[in-house]
Amino acid sequence: MSSSVTAAAAGVEPGGVVVAAPGIWRRVWKNKAVVVGGGLLLLIVAVALLAPWIAPYDPYAQDLANRNVPPFWYDAGGWAHPLGTDPLGRDYLSRLFYGARISLLIGVSVAIISGLIGTSMGMLAGYFGGRTDMAVSFLVTTRLSMPVILVALATVALVGGSLWVVIMVLGLLKWDRFAVVMRSATQQVRSLDYVAAAQAAGASTTRVLLGEVLPNVLPHLIVVATLEAASAILLEAALSFLGLGVQPPLPSWGLMISEAKSYMFFSFWLIAIPGAALALLIFAINLAGDGLRDLLAPEGRA
Amino acid sequence: MGGYILKRLGLAIAVALAVSMIAFLLLRLSGDPAIAIAGEGARSEDIEMVRKTYGFDRPLPVQYVEWLGKTLRGDFGESIYFKTPAAPLIFAKLETTMALGLLSLAFALALSIPLGVLAAVYRNSWIDRLCLALAVLGQALPNFFFALLLIMVFSITLRWLPVSGSDTWQHFVMPTIALGYYAAPAFMRLIRAGMIEVLEADYIRTARAKGLPASRVIFKHALRNAVVPVVALAAVQLGFLLGGSVVIETIFALDGLGYLAYQSITFKDFPVMQNIVLLLSVIYVVLTLASDVANAWLDPRIRVA
Amino acid sequence: MENCTRGRTGLRIAAGVLLAALFATTGPALAGKKDDTVRFAYDQAPESVDPFFNNVRIGVIIGANVWDTLVYRDPNTSEYKGNLARAWKQVDDRTIEFDLREGVKFHNGEDFDADSVVYTLNFVADPANKVTTQANVNWIEKATKLGKYKVRLTTKQVFPAAIEYLAGPVVMHPAKYYAEVGPKGQNTKPVGTGPFKVVNYVPGKSITLEKNTGYFKDSPKGAAKINRVEIRFIPDRQTQMAEMLSGNGDLIMHVPKDQADQAAKVPHLQVVSGETMRIAFMQLNSLDGTPTPALKDPRVRKAITHAIDRESIVKNIVGAGSRVLNTQCFPSQFGCTDQGAARYAYDPALAKKLLAEAGFPGGFETEIFAYRERNQTEAIINNLQQVGIKAKLNFSQYAAMRDAIRAGKASLTHQTWGSFSVNDVSASIPVWFGGESDDVTQDKEVQDLLKKGNNSVDPNVRKQAYQQALKKIADNAYSVPLWSLPVYYVASKDLNFTAYADEMVRLWEMTWK
Repeated sequence: MSSSVTAAAAGVEPGGVVVAAPGIWRRVWKNKAVVVGGGLLLLIVAVALLAPWIAPYDPYAQDLANRNVPPFWYDAGGWAHPLGTDPLGRDYLSRLFYGARISLLIGVSVAIISGLIGTSMGMLAGYFGGRTDMAVSFLVTTRLSMPVILVALATVALVGGSLWVVIMVLGLLKWDRFAVVMRSATQQVRSLDYVAAAQAAGASTTRVLLGEVLPNVLPHLIVVATLEAASAILLEAALSFLGLGVQPPLPSWGLMISEAKSYMFFSFWLIAIPGAALALLIFAINLAGDGLRDLLAPEGRA
Repeated sequence: MGGYILKRLGLAIAVALAVSMIAFLLLRLSGDPAIAIAGEGARSEDIEMVRKTYGFDRPLPVQYVEWLGKTLRGDFGESIYFKTPAAPLIFAKLETTMALGLLSLAFALALSIPLGVLAAVYRNSWIDRLCLALAVLGQALPNFFFALLLIMVFSITLRWLPVSGSDTWQHFVMPTIALGYYAAPAFMRLIRAGMIEVLEADYIRTARAKGLPASRVIFKHALRNAVVPVVALAAVQLGFLLGGSVVIETIFALDGLGYLAYQSITFKDFPVMQNIVLLLSVIYVVLTLASDVANAWLDPRIRVA
Repeated sequence: MENCTRGRTGLRIAAGVLLAALFATTGPALAGKKDDTVRFAYDQAPESVDPFFNNVRIGVIIGANVWDTLVYRDPNTSEYKGNLARAWKQVDDRTIEFDLREGVKFHNGEDFDADSVVYTLNFVADPANKVTTQANVNWIEKATKLGKYKVRLTTKQVFPAAIEYLAGPVVMHPAKYYAEVGPKGQNTKPVGTGPFKVVNYVPGKSITLEKNTGYFKDSPKGAAKINRVEIRFIPDRQTQMAEMLSGNGDLIMHVPKDQADQAAKVPHLQVVSGETMRIAFMQLNSLDGTPTPALKDPRVRKAITHAIDRESIVKNIVGAGSRVLNTQCFPSQFGCTDQGAARYAYDPALAKKLLAEAGFPGGFETEIFAYRERNQTEAIINNLQQVGIKAKLNFSQYAAMRDAIRAGKASLTHQTWGSFSVNDVSASIPVWFGGESDDVTQDKEVQDLLKKGNNSVDPNVRKQAYQQALKKIADNAYSVPLWSLPVYYVASKDLNFTAYADEMVRLWEMTWK
């Protein structure tokens, strides 16, 4: 595989082989990045899951007489709508809560889809080498030389924008880093003793891959998955900006930011609130991912 | 070495062809260009006339081969929307996007190298976390939000910089920051990882034990080794920046290749769109090829990969 | 390490040199009133500056400022005045003769005379020359020269709106120049007779106009007062607003109502707004193959119309100057009337009742296409939701929506139509009910009535035919007429600027305060 392609994925992997060390939970606690990042993430997930119960209003209910009410810290605002209302009179706090679901859904779905595709390709390439490796390498380089935004634009122009189209398009495009990282991780694991032992014992390739290799490359997979999830959430916002993301009235944070863009210079809070929420989510994901990477680094570096 | 280059070249060409085919298919399937050309209010006869005039009624493979042949001969066809030859149009806009890409890359490096070094030297401390936080900061906001924030602060409030356009160097400051910031975290992590690896190597410990000052150790040895993969990444990132500049170009009215690409998708301007995708992927492929060769030359171990 | 640092600095120096070489600076941007330059920002660049080869609003605006037409319609009195033509006479059903003005010169010095008119009209009428909006020119059969300043125009069929079109999109090109360079040349170096001439044009980026000091005195438009206009193409609306807020712009248009309201509070800006001829409506696909068969039942269509609170949407979202429409045309258009047509007041209870009668007590699911004014579409969807109709939004580009309509894949479409500022109902209603590919109703009686209106010369016959057609359409609720759209302009306080209903920015009238 091209060294520059590998380089593109580098800095992301924990590096080296991972061995589950004793006292792992103590190490997790001590790693502040994972604690803070993970904690924030859990908070957002909780809000998303509990949205139907904690949201004060229906996020889709329009109230044309009460449009653009500012949040409570402005004079014109109040506690009826603590975070104000949007240009169609919908309660912003409720939309924010429900929006967490959509943004998380996008991040997780895209990570899963692209993760499945990329990991399979990477593991096969790393395990078998030779022609398989060349084929995967070719596919990865082809994928990388296509500008993602433009392909996504063209595809969405083809089939129209919607939540599932966005997820599928991003999922089918963002597998490259998975493939590269899983490939090199698999190559490292391939030469280990117990893998050789399993092969000698006559286990089928599938069993070796799923039973021996996968558990060992899993940590790498998790780190890449977190970063790709964050990237997918941001890409969805960019697609919404270009008019081809999820369709209104869905309260995805990306769409809320893109809709609030028109009001940015006058009602800054309309874009600042979902923007801050999104930034917090991305930040939490990155922090947790980086912390995980350090956590899973071999002994001697912790 | 020669064999290595040939192999890579062959791969590069294969990739470029594959991308061109995908782009061609994708665009043709995404809609009827005849309607976009005929415009609002056109009747079906108008659309049929357009269809025949531009040859959209012929089978797809025929259209593809014809297009590929012409492009390789330098004839990029004519922009359906602008009705001028596509090649000069594309290359004129490429200048702006290239300038933006190079500047953004420089900014990303200028930001991430010091942060990466700091993070590596003080690894696992709060400085490490802070450096990462700073690097990730610009990336946590959607790029159009970040760009508009910059405009709000620097143009409207402070009136230090012009809002949009590409006439003077001041016009490029905010776009560079907005676009370049996105590449920073990747570089930072890479430099940090590379430097950590080197800093903990035995020969470094030896050098320190011998009493060499820390700064000399860092800059003379560690950074030099950590930079090698950065060169590779820089080539790759430049490719990404060129392909991902649509949003920034739209907001800052930079009239570059990214915005032209967006317009050509919107208006189903196929000659322009196909050639832009092909051009960008060729540039990307050339960049990766060049960096592969440079890497292989610097580090003989890679040639076996 | 020194090499590394030097390398990095080297890269930056190289980039700086590259930039300096590419963009030799000309100093700070021209600054509005101080330089007697109006800085006008618009989002979409025209594909060609030649008015016959683009179909964007800015193209139409540039067309009216850089070129002239034979006739000019006074926006205040609605009467037709001679522009490049001194007088004209309808000789018979299909023939008009024009006496042309003498002593007019094009920007390149070429004289304007019958040759210009004859060449231009015959050129654009020829479908082989691929004029973008054929409807603007395909009514012309031929133009013949009768004398140095006399021309005869023959139309293919009886076409009462001919003068209206000759006052609008059909501008006059210089015969010699146009024959030599064609539309490509006009796009590279535009030449007209208008109050402004083009001094600089960077396709996709900007176009600079300068006052035409030799503009003919007898023109009903009047000479330009401001020296220069710099039109910049800035795709993002927020960037346009940022330019205005930072004092770097003098005029932007199509500002959404909410931002216009806010911009009005900014000390150095003023907001000008007005109703336009652009109408909003919803087309309902009631053909046999429609994706939503419920639409074939008139009760369902009536229910949809009753379900939408048009007054509230107009008041709260659309903005000042707009009004609710009862027929699908703009009231100032000749032949447009809502006399005798059924009215549908906002009545969700009645809507539900009608739906139940039609067999849809719980409502139904459908899809609605839109390509602009998304907040209005969302309000409509919300209204429909309240009577049980779940409409999924498909927001896309105009071309994509048109594809879907013509392929029969669209059920509800939220559309707008500006009629190319032509003040005759033949420029609106027949598009959706005249039997062409955009007609998703295909009612023969309506089609015949419209044909009668389009092809009669007697104004009373025309009015009656149109009124009957409009009545039938409204009574059957074939479509949902919504409202007229206003346009908001935000301008610098220093600029004297008037907004007109035809969305035409008359740069030649502007002055500084």
